Amino acid sequence: MQHLDSGSGFAELGLRVAETLARLQSARHVTVGCSAKRAVLQLGKTTLYQYLPLSATPAAARPLLICFALVNRPYVLDLQPDRSLIRRLLEAGLAVYLIDWGEPEDADRHTELADYIEDQLGGCVRHVLQAHGSESLDLLGVCQGGVLALCYAALHAAQVARLITLTTPVDFHTPENLLSRWVRGVDTELLAACGNVPGELLNALFLALRPLRLTQEKYVRLLTSRPDQRAVEDFVRMERWIFDSPPQAASALAQFVRWFYQDNALMRGGLRLRGRAVELRHITQPLLNLYALDDHIVPASACAALRGRTGSSDYSECALRTGHIGMYVSRAGREQVPQRIVSWLGARAAARS
Amino acid sequence: METPFSTGGFGSQETYAASAQRFFELLRGFGAAAPAGAGSARDWSQLSGPLAAQFEHWLRLSQSAGPWFGSPLSAGMGPGAAGAAGWSFGPLPVGAAAVERPEAQRVWELLTRLAQLQSRLAVYWGEVARVAAQRFVARAGAPPAAPSAEESLRLYQQWVECAEEAYAETARSEDFARLQSELANVSAALLVEQRRHAESLVRAFGLPTRSEVDSLYARLKELDRRLNELAERATGATPARAKPAGAKRRARAASRPRRGR
Repeated sequence: MQHLDSGSGFAELGLRVAETLARLQSARHVTVGCSAKRAVLQLGKTTLYQYLPLSATPAAARPLLICFALVNRPYVLDLQPDRSLIRRLLEAGLAVYLIDWGEPEDADRHTELADYIEDQLGGCVRHVLQAHGSESLDLLGVCQGGVLALCYAALHAAQVARLITLTTPVDFHTPENLLSRWVRGVDTELLAACGNVPGELLNALFLALRPLRLTQEKYVRLLTSRPDQRAVEDFVRMERWIFDSPPQAASALAQFVRWFYQDNALMRGGLRLRGRAVELRHITQPLLNLYALDDHIVPASACAALRGRTGSSDYSECALRTGHIGMYVSRAGREQVPQRIVSWLGARAAARS
Repeated sequence: METPFSTGGFGSQETYAASAQRFFELLRGFGAAAPAGAGSARDWSQLSGPLAAQFEHWLRLSQSAGPWFGSPLSAGMGPGAAGAAGWSFGPLPVGAAAVERPEAQRVWELLTRLAQLQSRLAVYWGEVARVAAQRFVARAGAPPAAPSAEESLRLYQQWVECAEEAYAETARSEDFARLQSELANVSAALLVEQRRHAESLVRAFGLPTRSEVDSLYARLKELDRRLNELAERATGATPARAKPAGAKRRARAASRPRRGR
């Protein structure tokens, strides 16, 4: 407060800052995660969670499996009761499963994308199918997890009844993709040789896309906006999620950079997983593509590229005026994303019956 | 031990406190640019230099090696720190030590290259800061006599917009993108050399090295894969990755829990 030595403007701002700081102190121990779940499968570091239904799930409900990104923790989808995509899906009566990739150790540095997609995502799919006595499930891929989901759906079309992608990049070479420009010349063999990459490093990379906004302005906005205690707690929960990033298995990350950011393999083709070609045109399921128009990490153009690239004759998309994280927690995202998913699934379930 | 991978990054708490401090420094700057009284000639142009300097200073601190890696120079590996704990370049080149050690030469070349790249990065930060400050001065209009809280916040937002615009213009250039990739590559190469050095020390004590563990792990992984294939064949199921999906019976067979990895 020693900075506030002159002027009524300073004095007023100083008061606001002091209030917010006091609230921040009280918000130090906020918790994240709100919906009851149980682990039903462990595959290496990967855990498959089943969310407990809020009411009796209709017996015919097809399970929905959520495949989250490797680079962040999935609890952003169930942050708190009023900011929980998962809770909204449960309220709609869906049987929801979530893949948590866990925290790779040094021994996991050779885990490859094929391991994640075929063994771990595939293992979770097979487990859910068995548990529900079903031939297929609905798959929701989030961000990088959407890329994994696209690969899986292309390779195992019959196991995925309907596919939903949320802020999922497909064309990694659109002009707006700053991240892609920066990593285009990275030596991925060298990257893999360095071992697992700490989450902090990837965070620094994401923050460097808009450094002043993401490391300065957002704090100033919080400090000076007179947020109430609840708003401060919401902010702290998001901070916790943003800075709580798992390390990345070296081989998988290097492959992701090379195949998608550098080679743009989903668009150009040529991607093979364990000898099998991954082609978007092999995706024939009904497909819902949700993305954000103001996304600085996964530009809207990178997501919209999915349109017309698959073999699906039932393609829908929805673009919201929000940012990347806003798709999960902003007012627009909270209101529209679950509603779109539920109504889209419902319409196709009705058509099926 | 700190490594090029142990980036300082953006610690939430430190960042928060620093942003508050910088915010008030900026507001002071805005206040200083305001006219002291009627007829005063003070204007925003007086702020341009300090504003650019403050922004450049921040960019240098927060983005010293780009976002990729914490600066190896700060990890006791810089040219001036040769011989520091954890990063020895060995004895003087006399006697047996006079035999050339290519790895030491390689490290020296990498450090030199890193310093060159960081110098290039610093030039960019200077340019970004200069453009941002000029843009702010051009857009801000006449400074208010005594900025209110709301006016101060408006000016701050305007400054952020100008700074982000200037940053984005540079960050999107091909040359800057190449520089970022090269910084990542040189930092990664330094890390590999650092580990090689550490392995040679570990080997001297008869301890297993990372390379040996990696080799064993690769063999285990391959054995694990073969074991899964054999188990699936033994039960009559087609291996999962070649299975034509859709048949419930096959899906059940393939969903048996697998060995942990």
